[in-house]
Amino acid sequence: MTSVAVQSVTLEDQVRGLLTDRAVVRHTGERLAVEVPVTDLPESCARLQHGLQATLATMVGYDDRARSGGYRLAYVFQAPDNWLSVEAAIDPETAAFPSVTPRLPAAHLYEREVHDMLGLVPEGHPDLRRLVLHDDWPAGVYPLRKDFDPAIPVPRVEGAPHRFHHLHGEGIVEIPVGPIHAGVIEPGHFRFAAVGEVVLHLETRLFYTHRGIEKLAEGKTAAQALALAEHTCGACALSHAVAYCQAVEALAGAEVPGRAAAIRSLLLELERLYNHVGDLGNMCAGVGFAVGASHGAWLKELLQRLNERVAGNRFLRGVGRLGGVRRDIETSQALDIQQTLHQVRGEFERFVELVLETSSVMERFRGTGRVETESARALGAVGVAARASGLTGDLRRDQPYAAYGALMVPEVVQSQGDVQARAQVRIEETRASFALAQQLASDLPDGPISARMPSLPPFAVGLGYTESPRGSNVHWVRTGADGTIDRYRIRSASFCNWPVVALAVPGNMVPDFPLINKSFELCYACLDR
Amino acid sequence: MTAISLLLGQSLLVLVAAPFLNGVIKAVKAVFQGRRGPSVAQPAFDLLKYLARESVVSEHSSWIVRCAPLVYFVTSLAAAGLLPTFFDRPPLERLGDVVVLVGLLALGRFALALAALDTASNFGGMGTSREMAFAALVEPALLLALFALAIPVGSTAVAEVAGGPWGPARLLALGALFIVAIAETGRIPVDNPDTHLELTMAHEGMILEYSGRALALVTWASHIKQVVVVSLLAALFLPWGTAQQAQLGSLAVGVASYLGKLTVVGLALALTETSYAKLRIFRVPDLLGAASLLALLALISGYVVGR
Repeated sequence: MTSVAVQSVTLEDQVRGLLTDRAVVRHTGERLAVEVPVTDLPESCARLQHGLQATLATMVGYDDRARSGGYRLAYVFQAPDNWLSVEAAIDPETAAFPSVTPRLPAAHLYEREVHDMLGLVPEGHPDLRRLVLHDDWPAGVYPLRKDFDPAIPVPRVEGAPHRFHHLHGEGIVEIPVGPIHAGVIEPGHFRFAAVGEVVLHLETRLFYTHRGIEKLAEGKTAAQALALAEHTCGACALSHAVAYCQAVEALAGAEVPGRAAAIRSLLLELERLYNHVGDLGNMCAGVGFAVGASHGAWLKELLQRLNERVAGNRFLRGVGRLGGVRRDIETSQALDIQQTLHQVRGEFERFVELVLETSSVMERFRGTGRVETESARALGAVGVAARASGLTGDLRRDQPYAAYGALMVPEVVQSQGDVQARAQVRIEETRASFALAQQLASDLPDGPISARMPSLPPFAVGLGYTESPRGSNVHWVRTGADGTIDRYRIRSASFCNWPVVALAVPGNMVPDFPLINKSFELCYACLDR
Repeated sequence: MTAISLLLGQSLLVLVAAPFLNGVIKAVKAVFQGRRGPSVAQPAFDLLKYLARESVVSEHSSWIVRCAPLVYFVTSLAAAGLLPTFFDRPPLERLGDVVVLVGLLALGRFALALAALDTASNFGGMGTSREMAFAALVEPALLLALFALAIPVGSTAVAEVAGGPWGPARLLALGALFIVAIAETGRIPVDNPDTHLELTMAHEGMILEYSGRALALVTWASHIKQVVVVSLLAALFLPWGTAQQAQLGSLAVGVASYLGKLTVVGLALALTETSYAKLRIFRVPDLLGAASLLALLALISGYVVGR
């Protein structure tokens, strides 16, 4: 009996102990799936989360009427050493289920999304306003139902305007900002309620960049959908591509050759590097420290040029392939990586010194945009935002994928939860990434760069995940009867962290918002998909 | 040299030099940031571009929005006439002293603030509240510093004040006026002239609703106001090289030294902007309070140390 099996048996016993007799536990690959009656959903999810110290990793709803006669929901949890999903069937007549959100605040957005896209009603959910679909979308049209044909244009209607929360009181001013901004940035609407310069409440209205990626993937072959996966987001293109590939590989039971796994890890670290360095520069721009901003932009440019030389693309697109990678890294390119990283690393230290020793910058960073550990945990924060607030999660260490199992990924964590802590986490992680990338580039194993993909089994589920520069990305793929994709759910890091931003801002000054926002540096496109 | 020809010549010089001073400051900042910045003529090109475009005005706004750019422009240009630039004496010397100068700047700011409130846009309102809060601290510091220099010479005429004695009072006043200059030109650490972040703007927030010709006028007026502030520093603390007589040679030296002084003070502003991040908004009063304190010390030291 291998150690993995021992652990999963223990986990299974634990799960059985936590749940009622009505729950049916089964294995799908290495994951555990627990089937519960729909009425038991909130209780089961809450018990598993508290009993196993698990976090909600993603939640998927899908239209299974053709096969099982109803809709299905899967709440996927990341337990300390395994993944498990709590699943339930939903009656298509009522299309309703008891909301998990009152017990698990992290489920908030997932359930609103299922409500919009599939017309499933989470009963008892505190806020069922529209999320993904905006005012002009006709009522009763649900894009992710199987009877919705994306090829037929949907006539737009004059819908009821979105109901924002309003604060009433003397001197309270509402400041609407966006969705179109003065700079070249993604669209998002922010509504502040402020007294003078102090923000009392921030409400975000996002989802202006919906491209229907998940709907488009339905009916495509796994290889075709890869192109969709890596266009989820610009800044984390490779993280999404690899997460998707890993989901499909897990589903098919394919092994990735060692060299391909090492190249994936190496390029993922390069992705983290150019993002973190650029984000640190942007944080300087957020306080008007132009020297730091241009220093960061310069280093990011050096790293992106390296990306282009190594992978043929500044954003590391077109690298992923099911079963491996598409491009090999030649010896000369590996040498180029080592030399460039050595040079950039020295410059990075000078940049860090410049930022940390400019007291006017640190004065702005310190204490701004605080997120308490408990809030971060309850909302399911991931990535830099979580690690700056005292949570230690990092998928590279917790659930190693690609070549991370053989690498020492240091634990980076700060407890203050403010902008300074997020800057500090980025700095430490950048240093660690330099070391990891150097190590990988200097010691790439020999062998093929991809394996042949077996054909995909029908009605199987695969889960893939990566730790992107912004936090964990979790991709959930389910095949249909013919082995094409039946449902694809992308849960990006930004999806988890946007509610955290809204929580970090109240109590701060209005002009501190751009800085707080930049310290999270979330993506609008991969939230929306 | 007649006052009229001096006024015309000086106004022309200020009108032309204003966008270029901004261009020089931007270029210097670009060098400090390790960038290849835009040409020093870029602000002038921008003005020409704005001038060729139509001005769109919110239909909810009143005549105030249309008049404010003119008021701002005229007050700024008139303020420039109260200062000696390349010639020893200001062309509008008989019409006003340093107190009038401060008043003109305040009037321009008042017009712009009214216009920003008139459009009823959120950013106009936010920008105005910040600008006025800063102004309430900047104007006393400015007046106090000028009085500290005026009392020893017994006159508030700019040319007389400039000719006063050098001493601790003058150096303290220089410190106060430099901070005032940073605030009045809307620069870091008080305000950020380059920002696109709607929520952090002060001056840029006030002029957000302007477009086309009106924007050209407002932007040009801001450039001129910057020249006024810089010229005030130059006149008070770098009083050398100005032309004494209306002779070609001495006028040429005067113009050259004036442009040199603008560049030097512009350089100092750019250096300050490069070295700091923008202050937290509630810390700005601390900095401006320091300016008032310096001005007050200048005033007191004038009595203590002697005139």
